[in-house]
Amino acid sequence: MSEPRTRRAAVTGIGVVAPNGASTETFWKSTREGISALDRITRDGCEHLPLRVAGQVRDFDPSAAIEERFLVQTDRFTHFAMAAADLALDDAGLHRSETDEVPFSVGVVTAAGSGGGEFGQRELQQLWGKGSRFVGPYQSIAWFYAASTGQISIRRGFKGPCSVVAADEAGGLDALAHAARAVRRGTDVIVAGATEAPIAPYSVVCQLGYRELSTVDDPACAYRPFTSTASGFVPAEGGAMVVVESECTARERGVRVRAHLAGHAATFTGASRWEESREGLAQAIRGALAEADCAPEEIDVVFADALGVPEADRAEALAIADALGAHGTRVPVTAPKTGIGRAYCAAPLTDAATAVLSMEHGLIPPTPNVVDICHDLDLVTGRARTADVRTALLLSRGLMGSNSALVLRHGATGASS
Amino acid sequence: MTDRITVEELAELMKKCAGATVTPEELRRDGAVFEPMGVDSLGLLGIVGELENRYGTPMPPDAERSKTPRQFLDLVNSALMAGA
Repeated sequence: MSEPRTRRAAVTGIGVVAPNGASTETFWKSTREGISALDRITRDGCEHLPLRVAGQVRDFDPSAAIEERFLVQTDRFTHFAMAAADLALDDAGLHRSETDEVPFSVGVVTAAGSGGGEFGQRELQQLWGKGSRFVGPYQSIAWFYAASTGQISIRRGFKGPCSVVAADEAGGLDALAHAARAVRRGTDVIVAGATEAPIAPYSVVCQLGYRELSTVDDPACAYRPFTSTASGFVPAEGGAMVVVESECTARERGVRVRAHLAGHAATFTGASRWEESREGLAQAIRGALAEADCAPEEIDVVFADALGVPEADRAEALAIADALGAHGTRVPVTAPKTGIGRAYCAAPLTDAATAVLSMEHGLIPPTPNVVDICHDLDLVTGRARTADVRTALLLSRGLMGSNSALVLRHGATGASS
Repeated sequence: MTDRITVEELAELMKKCAGATVTPEELRRDGAVFEPMGVDSLGLLGIVGELENRYGTPMPPDAERSKTPRQFLDLVNSALMAGA
């Protein structure tokens, strides 16, 4: 890339609010241990629906994390986003006193698949139940998939470049790439990520039309990608935000560069055309490797998309082999999302958080609930595997046909490359 | 229900519609302004809608643009008196 090396995009903070932990520490501990948080859906109004199992965030108290005036005007997906952004900024050592000094140097990028379904349902019920005069004005902003970017920036007083990526589930990785580009173009800090809250009645009904959705009612069997019993994916809520920062700003502040966003590429192969996603995903991997100036053999772990639909799993396994060659069958592959479900755009974000933590702990977390792989992949199952993880490849595909790949490098590597 | 809208009722509505916690005394104070209390025009619009539903009377079109509690109460109470 032609950008000066001093503008390399580094990850300096991570904030996770996920079904297996409402803090980064709990999330990592559960992920590392391969604990599955998939469970029967208990959200009010969802019990009678044919979707039985999901990843619900249970130990999150929005009122403990967010001021009431922001809570009343936002949906649960934005509550997650604001809370995760706070965690990430704290983790990066960027407190209000610091960012208030340089508001134009901090921006926000989020990706979202659907927006504020629960808030929207409540207001629409007011509309049809009582009349238009009973719809609150915050309906105008809370349902919108762009709400989280706006509310994070308003709440924290950030005035740098703000944007929203609407690109299907893979948009979660695209948002990180967008943040990296903004940093290379001159913004010091971008708070980037994705959170979703699709486990509410209206939102669940919307998902019932996806043929890829698993309606298996046993939490241990509902989401088993890469196996012969794969029966679709389990949806989830929550997500992660990360602080993407110019490497030189991070070094000036004296904070640790946790990882580098080294390369990314995205392709499109059409909704639910999983066989064709093989070529699209392979091309995205090649593009990400090229941008990162990374040889296939340098990849130490692959975080798989792991949709859990047989033809999609086959396409992904073949794409990894197509793009990484012989290394594709040897490199450890993992899909920790089988323990928390797939939170649409946020799924690749929790993977990104896990990838950074894997590098720091020298540990590749397992793929919960998955045994007996029927593809030529070295899938990490059972327990975490000790490994020197310097470079991670993250894969994501959306139900509407987007494919993305992102290469993350360990913070201490590649400084002179 | 044709009494004047009081600062107590406004404080209750600010909490309910805009998530802002303020005491009636703070609203009564000279120089009290909505913005630092965390109530923006969308928040005021929600309060206006709630008042219209409660009292069955349309409120002045620009009530949500009020900068101060006093200005807001004068406007909504004048509408209430006119409608009574």
